[in-house]
Amino acid sequence: MNQFTALTQQDERGICCIDLAGYLDAHTATELESIMSAAITNGCRRIVVNFADLEYISSAGLGVFMVFIESIRSDGGDIKLAAMKPKVFTVFDLLGFPVLFEIYPTVEEAKQAFPSLEA
Amino acid sequence: MTFNASHSGTINVPATTDHLHEIREFLRERIRAAGFSEFEENGIVLAVDEACSNLIRHAYHNDPTQSVEVSLAIESDAVTVRICDTATPFDPSSAEVPDMPTYLQERRNGGLGILIMRRVMDMIDYVPCGPTSNRNMLVLTKRRTA
Repeated sequence: MNQFTALTQQDERGICCIDLAGYLDAHTATELESIMSAAITNGCRRIVVNFADLEYISSAGLGVFMVFIESIRSDGGDIKLAAMKPKVFTVFDLLGFPVLFEIYPTVEEAKQAFPSLEA
Repeated sequence: MTFNASHSGTINVPATTDHLHEIREFLRERIRAAGFSEFEENGIVLAVDEACSNLIRHAYHNDPTQSVEVSLAIESDAVTVRICDTATPFDPSSAEVPDMPTYLQERRNGGLGILIMRRVMDMIDYVPCGPTSNRNMLVLTKRRTA
C-alpha cells in the first residue's frame, strides 16, 4: 500500500511545486522531509506545496514545513501552501499555523504570490 | 441509531509507525458507522494518531517486538478510546504543552501531539501501570456535539 507520494516539478519561473497525495503522518513525514531537502539542495527557494490530493495530515507532517521555513526565508524564498481540503486546513488552523504560512486556495494563486524575478 | 458491538472493538498493532494507518482505518469505519459527524471523526482519529505516534516514537522507539493496543467504545453521546502500552509511564494529561504564538515565532518543531489531543478531545485520563496492571492506559473521550 502506497500511503503517500510527493512529486516535485519546477516551472519556467523557477518555482518548485511539490504535489502531495495520500496520508502524511509520523511514518510518511520522513519521506516528505527527504524530498523537500533534495529540492532545497538543488537550489529551490521558491516552493509551492500542492495539497489537493492530500487526504490526511498529523502534526508530524506540519513539522516538516517548520524544519525548512526559517532557512528558506533567510535565503529570500518561501514555502507557500495551496489547495488544501477543509479537513487538512482544519489541522493547520487548530494550531495557528496560518499565522506563519501563506495558504492559498489554488496552486496558481500561490505561484502568483511570489514576486517576479525580472528586474 | 442503535449502538452495537460492531461500533466498538480493539486493534493491536506492532509499535512501528507504518501501522498507524491501520489504527486510523479501524477507528474511522466504526465512528462513521455510529453516525458521528465527519468533523468529530477527523478530530478523534487525529488525536489518537498523535497519541500512538508519540508512544511508538518516543516510548517504544519503533520497536516491532512491542505493541500498541487501541480499544474503541462508542456510546450514544460519546466516543471513548483506550490506548494501552507497557512502556515507561508518561502522562500526557499533565505534560507541559507549548505556547503556540511563541512556538511559531521561534520556529520550533515537534511536541504538538499532546496539544492536539487536548484541543480535540473533551477528556484525557491516564492510568499508569501499578500493582493491579502491568499496562499503562490513556483514555481519550470525545462527546458528541450534534
